[in-house]
Amino acid sequence: MADRTSFLGGRIPVEVEIMAKHLKDLDKDFFRKILKVVVNAVEGKDCRDSLKSLADNGTLSEEQLSHIITGIHGLLKEALRLPTSSLKQEIFKEDLRELRISEEFIADFASVVFGNRRASLEAAAVEHGPRLPTVEDIRWRVDVAISTSSLARALQPSILMQMKLTDGSSHRFEVPVSKFQDLRYNVALILKEMNDLEKKSILKIQD
Amino acid sequence: MADIDSSKSLNGLLNGIAQKVYYNNSEITEELLKNELYPDLSQEEFHVLLEKMKGLLKSIASADMDQVQLEAFLTAQARKQGGGAVSAEQVAALSKFWKSQRARVRESLLSQSRWEPGLRGLTWRVDLPTSASRGQPVNAPVAVVELEMGRSGEDSEFLCMEFDEAKVNQVLKKMAEIQESIDRVVHQS
Repeated sequence: MADRTSFLGGRIPVEVEIMAKHLKDLDKDFFRKILKVVVNAVEGKDCRDSLKSLADNGTLSEEQLSHIITGIHGLLKEALRLPTSSLKQEIFKEDLRELRISEEFIADFASVVFGNRRASLEAAAVEHGPRLPTVEDIRWRVDVAISTSSLARALQPSILMQMKLTDGSSHRFEVPVSKFQDLRYNVALILKEMNDLEKKSILKIQD
Repeated sequence: MADIDSSKSLNGLLNGIAQKVYYNNSEITEELLKNELYPDLSQEEFHVLLEKMKGLLKSIASADMDQVQLEAFLTAQARKQGGGAVSAEQVAALSKFWKSQRARVRESLLSQSRWEPGLRGLTWRVDLPTSASRGQPVNAPVAVVELEMGRSGEDSEFLCMEFDEAKVNQVLKKMAEIQESIDRVVHQS
């Protein structure tokens, strides 16, 4: 046994182990169907109908099916988490052989993790990751208060801003001109920091 | 009452009025001002003085008088016939008070006619995502920005957002447009 730890971690997740056992006498075509559904699910697609048709197929009991799905999902999740630079295809295959998964199935797993769907799986992961809302739209208006109930001649410009965020919320607030300068300066500073960061080698971390 | 004490009391009174009327300091009451500054006056005499000063300040503040306007205004008030005339001492106290408080009073009056929450400040941070529970994070910095805003006299609310570089650039462009728009208004007047 190699002294290297499996990409699945020092202790193989239970669901992956159980899945590996169930794969032993599984029909290859049916496995591919299940794999396809799980990959779709990882991509964030609605899989309720396709799951139901897998269950209705009757090849496997509902319990067996759920063990296999859970295991495949767990395995893919771990494999996709690692950059391809640190998890090589050969190592991946080797680790699956350790679990006594047949070569045919290993090839299928590898084609998902290292094949041309990788990019869309990664994009989906980014999209579903934890994140704060961002600005979708900014609308603004510059007002000059001419006269108010307490000030005969105000003549004071201010900015009314309305920001729509990606979480669907909308926020309206007023920005006095002095604060606006502050805001603009800081946004410019953020952009500069981000530009500087990209030039630095910190972004080229490789393991 | 010696002159020096009397002008001190008058300054105190004007500042007290400003605290109460313009700076929303609810601890200042008529009774407090009377007891601290004019213990010798009767309640009624004090009330008349207070209302007179309040009225003068209100006129000065709502017109946002500059030094020349103030002088003209106070001269006219001092020439008034009868008991309503402003004394030389009061003229001096009002001039001195207005010189130091004009900007602050104006700011306070402007904020009285603001109803939307105003931007109070912002804090930000630039992050570099290095690893994630799912997938490999994109190798690009993320700016996390928190805006602090609130209506006057109310607690702040915080709004937290994140931006990638393209978004920051977009926002900055909007701000340049806003700046242009402000410049057009400000230069014309």
